[in-house]
Amino acid sequence: MFGRLKHIFEYLGGAADDKPRVLPSPASPWWGLWWAALIVSAIAFSGQASKFIYIDF
Amino acid sequence: MIFNTLSYFLLFLLPCAVAFRVVHAGIKPWICALFGIVFFVYFSVSELHGWLAAACVFIFVWESLFRQFYRPAHWTCLAGILISVLILFVFKYWNFATGLFTQPFGENPFHWSGIFLPLGVSFFTFEFIHYAADRYKGTVEKGTTGEYAAFIFFFPTMVAGPIKRFQDFAPCLRNPSRNWSLDWNRGITRILAGLVKKFALADLLTSMTDHLNTGDILAAERWVLCLWILAYGWKIYFDFSAYSDIAIGSARLFGIETPENFDWPYIRTNITDFWRHWHISLYRWLVDYVFIPLGGSRGTKPFVLRNLLIVMLVSGIWHGAGANFVVWGMWHGLLLIVHRIWSQRSGATVEKSVPSRLHRLPAWLATYAAVNFGWVFFCMDLDTASVFLWRLFGG
Repeated sequence: MFGRLKHIFEYLGGAADDKPRVLPSPASPWWGLWWAALIVSAIAFSGQASKFIYIDF
Repeated sequence: MIFNTLSYFLLFLLPCAVAFRVVHAGIKPWICALFGIVFFVYFSVSELHGWLAAACVFIFVWESLFRQFYRPAHWTCLAGILISVLILFVFKYWNFATGLFTQPFGENPFHWSGIFLPLGVSFFTFEFIHYAADRYKGTVEKGTTGEYAAFIFFFPTMVAGPIKRFQDFAPCLRNPSRNWSLDWNRGITRILAGLVKKFALADLLTSMTDHLNTGDILAAERWVLCLWILAYGWKIYFDFSAYSDIAIGSARLFGIETPENFDWPYIRTNITDFWRHWHISLYRWLVDYVFIPLGGSRGTKPFVLRNLLIVMLVSGIWHGAGANFVVWGMWHGLLLIVHRIWSQRSGATVEKSVPSRLHRLPAWLATYAAVNFGWVFFCMDLDTASVFLWRLFGG
């Protein structure tokens, strides 16, 4: 159960190549919406941008 | 900033990744090297200490020239390691180290007031050391000048890793993945997910966990301090794993695979397992170039435990020039020692010490609490950390 959930998260985050069965095919328009959601979230929160911590290490 | 700037994507990542994909195989390494040089100079000037920091590009030039002399079991490899350690020492620890020796006499006459940290110095010196050490052992091929230049100037991983190995990178450079659609789909998704992690989670937690001073600590309730340190633990995870996501996703656009850095470290049920899943490329580097040369797991029990402690001490000092990082490293060294003794007493090997279903929750809780306790020393100087712990457990 947890392994499957982890796989879904990793695929949604671009860290896994093989698509979990529960997610739509790569050609589905849902993925366009997913990218749009990520872009909108990044832009919406980008105003408070700070330096990455490890750049100073 | 760098990875969260438009100039990174528009001036460097997209043009370089496309050029890398379309040019002839022989030119690919030089595309990486050329963009890497411009990247280093551009961000050194715009984000760091101007042209002096940009001049540190000559460290890479020196490394590219000197590595020509590396031969298996030859002294030049050892000299290369020494020079890399020296570069790291001068830029990162000069004031700290000279201050330690001159502290009893008052002012430090060797204090370098204009000291600065060249972009990515902690990471690229580790790649230099890896190459020199592996050339010494004969476990890595020399590679062409272009391939080595591409390796050290590969800008997606130059600033803060993941720490690569030449033997993994060179084959990807010669024969990168040609599956454009999969690489760009996964790479862009990973970059976007990294940006959201950084902006929406890490930066949000940064606004909650920044600027904690002694006055705040003395005034805060105990539960607030608990929450604060847990928030800091998540912030550093989201921040650095977001950085790694963007670096790995960027490399993917080239068709190049780079090592992973994080694999759900906060769900791990013991400290050894935590370190196998937190900053993985650093942990592996420390195992290969510190732990094993020290003797590794061979030898008497005290000898192995000493090696563990030294490795984590090196890890602590690498993270920063300060007594708090030494204590943080020692804390993790002690945790690894306790875990090793515990798992050997219970008859399991460290590698296979998986707790039973019944013990999984307490094991996870203990690991999570111990790691978060360690963050106190990571994010505060020792004086502030002492006040924090006194308020948390005593006053």
